[in-house]
Amino acid sequence: MTAREVVERVKAHVGVPWNDQSYRDTFKLGDPEGTVRGIATTMMATFGMLKRAHEQGLNMVVTHEDTWWNDRDDTKDLTDNPLYRMKREFALKNEMIVWRIHDHMHAMRPDFTVVGSLRSVGVKGGENATMRPGVLTIPETTLGEFASQVKRLTGSRAFRCVGDPKARVSRILLGPGYATPRMTAGVDVVIGGEQQEADGAFDDAEYVRDAAALGMPKGLIMLGHVVSEEPGMEDMANWMRTFIQEVPIRFVPAEEPFWT
Amino acid sequence: MPTSHISRRRFALLAGSAAAVPPISAQSGPPVASAVVGRILNELGGESPANGTDGYKAGDPSRPVRGIATTAMATMDVLTRAASSGKNLILTYEPVFFGRADGPAAPGSPAAAAGLDPDDPIYKAKREFIEAKGLVVYRLRDRWQARRRDDMVTALAESLGWRQYRVKSDDTLYDIPGATAEEVVAQIRSRLNLTGGLRAVGDRAARVRRILLLPGTMAAATMWTRYADADLIVTGEVREWENTHFAADLFTEGEKHGLVTIGRVVSEDPGMRACSVWLKTVVKEIPVQWLAVGDPYWRAV
Repeated sequence: MTAREVVERVKAHVGVPWNDQSYRDTFKLGDPEGTVRGIATTMMATFGMLKRAHEQGLNMVVTHEDTWWNDRDDTKDLTDNPLYRMKREFALKNEMIVWRIHDHMHAMRPDFTVVGSLRSVGVKGGENATMRPGVLTIPETTLGEFASQVKRLTGSRAFRCVGDPKARVSRILLGPGYATPRMTAGVDVVIGGEQQEADGAFDDAEYVRDAAALGMPKGLIMLGHVVSEEPGMEDMANWMRTFIQEVPIRFVPAEEPFWT
Repeated sequence: MPTSHISRRRFALLAGSAAAVPPISAQSGPPVASAVVGRILNELGGESPANGTDGYKAGDPSRPVRGIATTAMATMDVLTRAASSGKNLILTYEPVFFGRADGPAAPGSPAAAAGLDPDDPIYKAKREFIEAKGLVVYRLRDRWQARRRDDMVTALAESLGWRQYRVKSDDTLYDIPGATAEEVVAQIRSRLNLTGGLRAVGDRAARVRRILLLPGTMAAATMWTRYADADLIVTGEVREWENTHFAADLFTEGEKHGLVTIGRVVSEDPGMRACSVWLKTVVKEIPVQWLAVGDPYWRAV
């Protein structure tokens, strides 16, 4: 089957009206009419991920985030960039095709990015979560113990925490990727991917730090964008397998980029 | 409206000419906050941008000033240290009330639903502390940044022990003694007392000599356009789908150019120390002190 046929199959099963105005959910690289030998789902079409997909014989990449280092995958200023040329040539030489699905994933019920993220940090009750899963309750623990659990379960090397590690917490609010929610009175711990640290719509880091200074039990866990949304792309592969049986479909992680 | 406490007309009265600035040392009591701020803005020069961030965020500008604290961010911890050391005018580079709006949005406005709740307990506690201690919080970012941008860089370089290694005056490149990326990161962590905010991308073993130092937030395209100019870019924060992604791809391709983010506020901390040093030459009558914010992050064990 062709890449375009794969996309049409996804559109038929996504369960929400397809928005053709989305600049995100489009082909980013390769020939949509090209033959698909296998599909790799991933959180971000990094160069390393493209190479790992190719090694497994998967030439169509279904990515949640961008390929060309900006949200619009705008390449007009990149055409002379050596890294752009190398990444593009590698993909085209190997007949790879990259297609992004972002906006429609967050509109889907459930939103796999949220379901996967909640599962990955060991919070139950989010199995059918949408993009705004609401507050979920865990057995009361300390922020430090909960952070240790997140580390153990996700294997993340570089996620960051704010707040008093001894604070007693049980009410969790998670948002995927850059959609880190704002802390409210009914929430003990906010979990997000990333957020501008200050001078944004709501500065969670400063708020939680001040809460700690005032003796109010609050916590912030910033997983990093890839760690936050990666587990949902495994769910995406499982879901796509229910309506595409012609080619192999595998989850190929983008992998956390950081060391500390 | 961040500048609501000083209208253009009143600003012109305060800062438009040297003669209009109240002679703060000639009064009988200590000068009031609005007079001190007027003097500072006058000395800095320039204009406040139309949609800027600067202005009084809490406290009464007519309060007499006993001492001035400069800081990258007026956190509760910073305000507590300021009050206990007798500094009641706080000049903060970042917001005091958890976001660009720096307080609850006007009721009924489009921003009200997503913004800070006027009854938020932490907002209220912080405001009450400011009132109880007689503090005045003024955000000083646009006007400071417009005239003293380079101070934000040189002060960070000084904290890192790199000040003498600046390559040229019109760019923020530093040629430091050669070391591996891992060794340089260890130096940065120790010299800035970082607890958990630092994250690095690239080859740990790469030889690093030339650094591009960019405090604050790094723009989307900086990594694409500048990576070849330095072995390591050291900045406050980036967006991970932009510059982090690019740096990870560089690493995959075997390039030796790395990226280190140390945290936005931590990267701005030393710049407000430079602000305190400069202020001592402008407001000689009042004690001035820099209050470090420090790294808010920790790592799970």
